[in-house]
Amino acid sequence: MRASFVFSEVLTGLRRNVTMTVAMILTTAISLGLLGGGLLVVRTIGKMQDIYLSKLQVSVDLTADVSSNDPNCGGAICAGLRQQLVNTPGVKDVQFESQGAAYTRYRQMFAAMPQMIELGRPGALPASLHVEMDDPSRSDVIVQEFTGKLGVKDVNNEGVFLQKLINVLNGVRNATFVIAVIQALAALLLISNTIQVSAFTRRNEVGIMRLVGATRWYTQLPFLLEAVVAGIVGAVLSILGLIAAKLTFLDSALAPLTSSGVIPQIQLADVGIVSPWLLITAIGISALTGYVTLRMYVRL
Amino acid sequence: MTPVAIQSRGETGTSQVAPVDSPLVIRLEHVTKVYKTSTRPALDNISVDVDRGEFVFLIGPSGSGKSTFLRLLLREDVPSKGRVYVSNFDVAKMARRRIPRLRQSIGCVFQDFRLLANKTVAENVAFALEVIGKPHHTIRKVVPEVLQLVGLDGKANRMPHELSGGEQQRVAIARAFVNRPLVLIADEPTGNLDPDTSQDIMLLLERINRTGTTVLMATHDHSIVDSMRRRVVELSLGKVVRDDKRGVYGVGR
Repeated sequence: MRASFVFSEVLTGLRRNVTMTVAMILTTAISLGLLGGGLLVVRTIGKMQDIYLSKLQVSVDLTADVSSNDPNCGGAICAGLRQQLVNTPGVKDVQFESQGAAYTRYRQMFAAMPQMIELGRPGALPASLHVEMDDPSRSDVIVQEFTGKLGVKDVNNEGVFLQKLINVLNGVRNATFVIAVIQALAALLLISNTIQVSAFTRRNEVGIMRLVGATRWYTQLPFLLEAVVAGIVGAVLSILGLIAAKLTFLDSALAPLTSSGVIPQIQLADVGIVSPWLLITAIGISALTGYVTLRMYVRL
Repeated sequence: MTPVAIQSRGETGTSQVAPVDSPLVIRLEHVTKVYKTSTRPALDNISVDVDRGEFVFLIGPSGSGKSTFLRLLLREDVPSKGRVYVSNFDVAKMARRRIPRLRQSIGCVFQDFRLLANKTVAENVAFALEVIGKPHHTIRKVVPEVLQLVGLDGKANRMPHELSGGEQQRVAIARAFVNRPLVLIADEPTGNLDPDTSQDIMLLLERINRTGTTVLMATHDHSIVDSMRRRVVELSLGKVVRDDKRGVYGVGR
């Protein structure tokens, strides 16, 4: 196989129908960009789960009565609840937070907002038992068992909020994947069409190649490589696009969420981890489409 | 008169054994080809043997099966019945991946030259070697040799459109011959040429035949067939109606 020959054939082919090549590259790039975006969301969700699940808590808020009369959780009601919680399977640790401690934490949380601090009064916040879970999936059981017990005002499962957030992100991921798939379909059709046109414009060469006994590889490889080269260029464009999107608007758009630690920031390393998959996908799909097209529509 | 009775050459040789070490280069055994779209077979139970180094004219009116004959040799098609051998290739039965090997041992020339318009004369000839993976140094050595053989050594860097029809056909012959095929198939090579130029092309084909290459030429040109006095196989409605060792075009017409 003479590499220079194949290479020059590929370049001629790509140059000969520039408009279609450009269309093919752009469609591929957009499709892969969306796929990459979806993959970034997947990674973000994964990171969030890693971060939150380890410190995910269920807080059992005590009634105002218990809260104000039992600042050290020494009374029968509070201590009893604590013991029951500790004995529940899946629970790792139970910490008592008194009304005073809750107020201190409240002040810290809203240190930047004096009007919120003015609103809060030491007696308004309940004392609570913070339950740290070994097995986050069992947090629902605690909510069920402890809601309505004597001395319990409310049971808050922080996982519910997290779950809502993850659901939103899952929705975003699914939407990007759906659009990516539709775009990918368009890209497939364009690749297939470009190869057919390419093979048609070079039917004389191909006819002679067949006649003088060139092997299938020799006749088909230029067309196949044409598709693959376009795929690679598309993938590179999509990766650059992802980096540009991160730097120009994603960072600033997500800033409120990332700075408060709700969503982990998308790092360039994340784009770096996603990129090889985009390249592999591009190469695989373009090569496969090319091969199938040549088999089905082009007699070589 | 049946085709089997007429074509005597095939009866004499080894009729059932594949021509491995025999001097046979082409052998068709009771070949029938039926196209789906046609009721009449394009070839109807024909048997033809061609020895190494022969020069054979394949004649007959349009639709007599000449093109089908040539397509079967190149494995562009497979026969409906019968067997086809070229050299030691069992053409109809061989695996698809071996087809390139078969075609590398057959050179082809056509009425319409089929040159690549954007390549020079030398590049056109070199193309045939490049695409079968011949090394660069071989190509550099062989291409000028074959251009000299066909009488175009001064025109290696011309473009096809700068050449006359006869010269273009010489380029096509050079391309068909450059890989030293066993068989050269010429499908009406003089169809687009004036009589004088045609004579030149025939001289060239004869010269190639003298190097030991078997030449199989389909033609409608009476005067050429008559002047050459070579073997003539005549097809009509898919049957071999004549196989003369030193024939002329017009007998029985």
